[in-house]
Amino acid sequence: MEWIILGVLGFWLVASALGAVFVRNPVHSILFFLSSVIAISALFLSLGAELLAGLQLIIYAVAIVVFYVLVITTIPWEKVKRFEGIYKKELLFSLPVLSVSLLIMGYMVYRGELAQPVNLVKDNVRDLGKTLFTSYLFPFEVASVILLVAMIGAILLGRKED
Amino acid sequence: MPIEKAYIILSIALFLIGLLGVIIRKNLITVLVSTEIMLNGVNLSLVAVDSWLGKVDGQVFSLFVITVAAAEVAVGLGLVVAIFRLKGYEGSSELTHLRD
Repeated sequence: MEWIILGVLGFWLVASALGAVFVRNPVHSILFFLSSVIAISALFLSLGAELLAGLQLIIYAVAIVVFYVLVITTIPWEKVKRFEGIYKKELLFSLPVLSVSLLIMGYMVYRGELAQPVNLVKDNVRDLGKTLFTSYLFPFEVASVILLVAMIGAILLGRKED
Repeated sequence: MPIEKAYIILSIALFLIGLLGVIIRKNLITVLVSTEIMLNGVNLSLVAVDSWLGKVDGQVFSLFVITVAAAEVAVGLGLVVAIFRLKGYEGSSELTHLRD
């Protein structure tokens, strides 16, 4: 049963990611990305990470995708027409290299050993919150500083030059 | 083979699809979308290994990756819009100031 869920969701995920990479129109590419975000959220749910599935939907599918679409609407559309689509020559060279590296890494993962399981988490959200606010308290505060600096940087980049 | 290995192989495939998009796309905004696909692949492998080990540390790291992705989108899209407004560039092949 787990394998059926993984097969369906994995096919959906890979198909929508390939669509996001290869489709011509930027808005269609972002809609394919939204589809892949929903598939990843479903994969998180099937892995037992409920909090991350919800956060993935809230942050990616709402905040980031809407932000991309808003930024695309600010750019004049007819000037962008020259730069739709993909570079053909780069595709010809990079596709074999990436396929071979996928085969090599997949073989290494298939033959390798995973570490032994330590313990079983019963309540995902409670354990995640406890770990986040005890062991990882300092990186949590640093993440807030990163968000603040990114906000100031975006405001600085977005203002008009005098 | 445990099912977590299949998840890890799927996440490697997702990361390489995002890398392919960074290499071949012309438009700068779709290059940023491809980097988001790469970050999602990393998140998927972190959560899969976490589910095998029965811990929550990988999910905490995945949370930080989502935070950095949000910051990256804010600054990256600001840069793309600023480049377009100041220079009129929208394709990645036009950014050749350092090369020339």
